Amino acid sequence: MLIAIKKQLKPQYLIAHVILLGGGLILVYPLVFMFMASLFTKNEYNTSAIGLLPIAKHPTLSNLKLLFFSSVDKQTSYLYVNSIYRTLYATFFAVLTSLLGGYAFARLRFKGNGVLFMALLATQMIPGVIGLLPTYLELYRFPFAGGNHIFTGGKGLFDTWWVYILLNGGSIYILGVFLVKQALESVPRELDEAAKVDGASTIRLIFQILMPLQKPVLAYIAIKVSIDTWNDWAVPFFYTNNSKLQTLASGLSKLTAFAGAPGSTANYPRMISISLLLTVPSVLLFFIFQKLIVQGLANSGVKG
Amino acid sequence: MSEYKLKKSASLTSKLAAPVGWKRFRRRHADAITATIILGPMILWWVVMYGIPFSFSFFLGFFEWIGINDHPKFVGLHNFVLFFQDESYVSDLLRSIWMGGLIMLLAMIAGLGAALLMNLPLFGKGIYRTMWYVPVVTSTVATTQVLIILLNPINGAINQAIEALGFEPILWQTSVFWGVVQICIYSMWKGVGTQALLWLAGLQSVDPVLYEAAEIDGAGRVAKFIHVTIPGVKPIATFIVITGLISAVQIYEQVAFLTNGGPYGQTEVLVYRIIADGFFNFNLGMAGASSVILASIVFIASISYYRLSRDKD
Repeated sequence: MLIAIKKQLKPQYLIAHVILLGGGLILVYPLVFMFMASLFTKNEYNTSAIGLLPIAKHPTLSNLKLLFFSSVDKQTSYLYVNSIYRTLYATFFAVLTSLLGGYAFARLRFKGNGVLFMALLATQMIPGVIGLLPTYLELYRFPFAGGNHIFTGGKGLFDTWWVYILLNGGSIYILGVFLVKQALESVPRELDEAAKVDGASTIRLIFQILMPLQKPVLAYIAIKVSIDTWNDWAVPFFYTNNSKLQTLASGLSKLTAFAGAPGSTANYPRMISISLLLTVPSVLLFFIFQKLIVQGLANSGVKG
Repeated sequence: MSEYKLKKSASLTSKLAAPVGWKRFRRRHADAITATIILGPMILWWVVMYGIPFSFSFFLGFFEWIGINDHPKFVGLHNFVLFFQDESYVSDLLRSIWMGGLIMLLAMIAGLGAALLMNLPLFGKGIYRTMWYVPVVTSTVATTQVLIILLNPINGAINQAIEALGFEPILWQTSVFWGVVQICIYSMWKGVGTQALLWLAGLQSVDPVLYEAAEIDGAGRVAKFIHVTIPGVKPIATFIVITGLISAVQIYEQVAFLTNGGPYGQTEVLVYRIIADGFFNFNLGMAGASSVILASIVFIASISYYRLSRDKD
């Protein structure tokens, strides 16, 4: 033990400790600041100088409480609920399509299996922003929806729940399919055959026999998709207008768009509180499942 | 192969037992039918929500389309010509490339350095890893907010600290240079964790036996790094550079939330311009043309890098 400690005190290790800890503290600092600043009341925030480490004289959780219970800010709890629903919906479908798609590409022999898979992977190279505007056009001009004739007339699916239902729904989640396929290839095929001989249907084979074996990969997919969906502000920001359809991230982005202007009377503690609400769930998820996340990230890099 | 033969002979014997019509079809193409049932709906959904819009963006560039309710007018290559004639587009593109490239390079070097340190047998490695990765999972909207508050020209903490040290306070919002610095620092903060973990995974995938062999051959620390570590992390380096490149030229969120392209559009990047053209300036055709140009640049760059890294092996 003593030798081990001595080893850690070697100058090169000491320098490594200092660099990693110093860098780590800088990286965590904004989150600490966010938490500290959310404890201020609006008055104190506006009248006192906010230092690098703001410490409120009368720390209060009233900002958070107001966000959920005051009639003015009632919208925030609405945003929270929308964010949760959207995240759960997207996560469910991402896991489902990854499992089924991974099974199909890893196990089934059909013409064009390899070509189709490579084609799907290749689309991952296209920058995502390119689809942003055409998707808007498609939603807006969606045939026979929202007062549209064939292509024109109304607003189509723009600004409706269909935006989330379609964009976060059962479309194939390509990264997940890739990971599940990789993982399934290390499971012997004999297992499938044995199950089939015992009379298991394909559905039972996938969900009762293969799914439990793929838990780590599926959990990684679930966490990645839920954090990404939770943090995504662009889809609600660009494809919806109605305040009832916003999520927490897009609500905050609409709020902050005007706050930076000089002389604005923005309520910074309130904004910081919303930021905190937005940050805490994803950070918590990361803390709980960090082993899986690190492993999954490594897998998608090393094998890819 | 033999399995395939077995299957074929099985289907032959079953043919003798004479299941005809649908039953025979089902037995012969069991896998293909299952695949169609499983993949069909997903891929159809994908085509409708992603395939069609992405392909559509390639046509968009050939039209003049002012606002969503207007009728598009075919103008051929006019938008593409305009892109290269209009200085602001070209400078946005160049800014995307050098700013994205700079951010990627800095984050990659910092990430590699951190990974090399994290690969040492240190106490509390897990804690460091957690601390370095946390920014990646936070929301851009929320964390840019903190930076904006810290950089507030009037009561921001950083300007106060600078004044306390006896320097002139910096006007972060009205200077191009400091705008770029802000964006770079924020992107580094957000991106270094991913880079560090990817490099770490690459370092750990190097077979330790190779290091021992090099040691027996009398290699020093530097020689080991050059001859064992670098070839060992090459596959993951390709991955890091390609994905880094694709995401680097797409920087948008940081710019939109931190500087909003300002002052006077001097920190604007191409993606920012595409979105501004598409959603706020009602110039859908130009947004399409710029998208095509961006996509081709990313495509060419990643293909050529992939080729290069392959040829050297």
